[in-house]
Amino acid sequence: MNGFWMLGQSLINGITMGCIYALIAVGLTMIFGVMKVINFSQGECLMVGMYMTYALQKWLGTEPYYVVIPVAAVMAMLGVAIFRFVVKRLLTGTRTNIMVATMGVAYILSTAMQLIFSANSLSVQSQWKDVSVTFLSFAVSLPRVIACVAMVIFVSGVSVFLEKTDVGRAMRATAENTEVAEMLGIRTTNMFMLAFALGVAFAGVSGLLLSPTYFVNPTVGTPFKTVAMVCVVLGGLGNIRGAVVAGMLAGVMEALVGSYISFDLAPAGVYMTLIVGLLIKPDGLFGKGERKA
Amino acid sequence: MIKLFNNKKARDVALIAVLALLFGLPVFKPSNYIYAVAVMFAAFAALGTAWNIIGGYASQISWCHATFVAIGGYTSFLLYRHFGVSPWISMIPAMAISALVAILIGSISFRHRGVFFSLTTIAFGETFRVWLNYQKNLTNGSSGLVVTFKQSSFVNLMFRSPKEYYYILLVMLLICLFISWKIQRSRMGFYLRAIKADEDAAMSLGIETHKVKLKAFVISAMMACCIGVVYTFYMSYIDPTNTAGTDFSTKIGTMALVGGVGTLSGPVFGAAILIPLAEIANILLGSSGAGMLIYGLALVLVIMFRPKGVRSFFLSDDGQSNINVLERGGIWKRFSK
Repeated sequence: MNGFWMLGQSLINGITMGCIYALIAVGLTMIFGVMKVINFSQGECLMVGMYMTYALQKWLGTEPYYVVIPVAAVMAMLGVAIFRFVVKRLLTGTRTNIMVATMGVAYILSTAMQLIFSANSLSVQSQWKDVSVTFLSFAVSLPRVIACVAMVIFVSGVSVFLEKTDVGRAMRATAENTEVAEMLGIRTTNMFMLAFALGVAFAGVSGLLLSPTYFVNPTVGTPFKTVAMVCVVLGGLGNIRGAVVAGMLAGVMEALVGSYISFDLAPAGVYMTLIVGLLIKPDGLFGKGERKA
Repeated sequence: MIKLFNNKKARDVALIAVLALLFGLPVFKPSNYIYAVAVMFAAFAALGTAWNIIGGYASQISWCHATFVAIGGYTSFLLYRHFGVSPWISMIPAMAISALVAILIGSISFRHRGVFFSLTTIAFGETFRVWLNYQKNLTNGSSGLVVTFKQSSFVNLMFRSPKEYYYILLVMLLICLFISWKIQRSRMGFYLRAIKADEDAAMSLGIETHKVKLKAFVISAMMACCIGVVYTFYMSYIDPTNTAGTDFSTKIGTMALVGGVGTLSGPVFGAAILIPLAEIANILLGSSGAGMLIYGLALVLVIMFRPKGVRSFFLSDDGQSNINVLERGGIWKRFSK
């Protein structure tokens, strides 16, 4: 086992993990970009997505990957529900109110799942779970490769949607300047709802992609949530490209700290990246800065 | 809405009645369980009051106060275990350490505003928790540290029943409320509220906002650290996940947010309502996680229907909190270019 191999393997592990972080962060940054609000229940939505996958997989007995469309659809509905019943009523208040309210939603979701499924860890069955792909003596497990491919598909799909379609343009206009967008006849509340639904659906899909490799339990989403928030801040505000790059960076830093310093310190690698990154570039990697005089 | 205690006289009577009830708890000969709930109430009301100084008065929502509780806990546990130092004495180095950590966290986090400040504090809090896990020689990693009970003594903060802890924490709560009250009425309190209303405007009026926020954060951290010493000695066990985790931090903030953010009595109202409710929920639903459901529901419902907190059912606005200033604009007015 030479040093080169270890570095390469760590980088590959980091990049594949980074893809998943990027996918979660893109969901979060979409909500942020349009509404300027951080959804603190994003990690719990991911956890609900994992439970959805578990339940559907048990019920239908198929590969978890085949239920991606129903999971995404149900999660989008959950997003709409959170938006309609909680966030929409708070739009006239401060952003802090929405942050705190979504935090409350996070507690409700994780306790609800605990009361339904108990706090014990469950595992999702998949035939591809233990398959690993070997490439130039570097090994990667198949679920991670699938997650990477899915990330590329979903993120490019969303980019095309935002760039090419009318609804996407309306969303970008809302993100740019809500007041003017409203004046131009865009129903900004609907755009907010769409952004929330898409963001939560992304969280659900990330949960589905993670489910073959992680145990499902009510608190599984929390670390992913914090990492995704770090990526959103590090990437710059509501910037999808920034979120992807930051997600990759977070994954790589985590893997490098994990293999070279201590596995226990691995999560700190992510947070220190944020802290150092913000010291060097306070507005994030691709950010224009929050404060506008 | 009729406020129960708008009348100043009625308010004084109610205040005396509450104090008499809190100090006269033994008259009812409560069981140890009731005392244990009362300890949690006093601890979280005091922690919420500490949090409220930065999170409420200045509206800088910090999610890393568990870090300071853990600093208090770990410093006093380690000094007691290795050198037999009384936890009362280790409060001094613990306060010094938490002040330094608060300066470190604050000087980086306060570059950001609003949600970004909150996110940076989460990053710091989590880094600290991970670091505690990593320093196995010092902190025993995720298995945590214990102090073993030898004999009841005030010096070593060890008592057979929760009763004594309850009284100590009650006195600490009153001290915290006194500090909070002093700050609220001082020049600094006005500065903090100015920052809450509009930081740019506060800056343009010559307030050194960065310095004021940092000062408030350090005071708040030192208070949380002292309560942390007593609280962890009461628990007699600390570990990184429960003592330094983000869940603990959010629980602290929830007290103030539910009770009435940015008001003196808010955190006390919050703790008085949430702690017993969470206990009842745990009994009824038969699971220790069910208490979190109450925190979640209370947060969502209060933010949606009573942004001034539960306190506003009983007391009118004392003119000190200025939540309305922030609410008038609405998000798009404030954040569109």
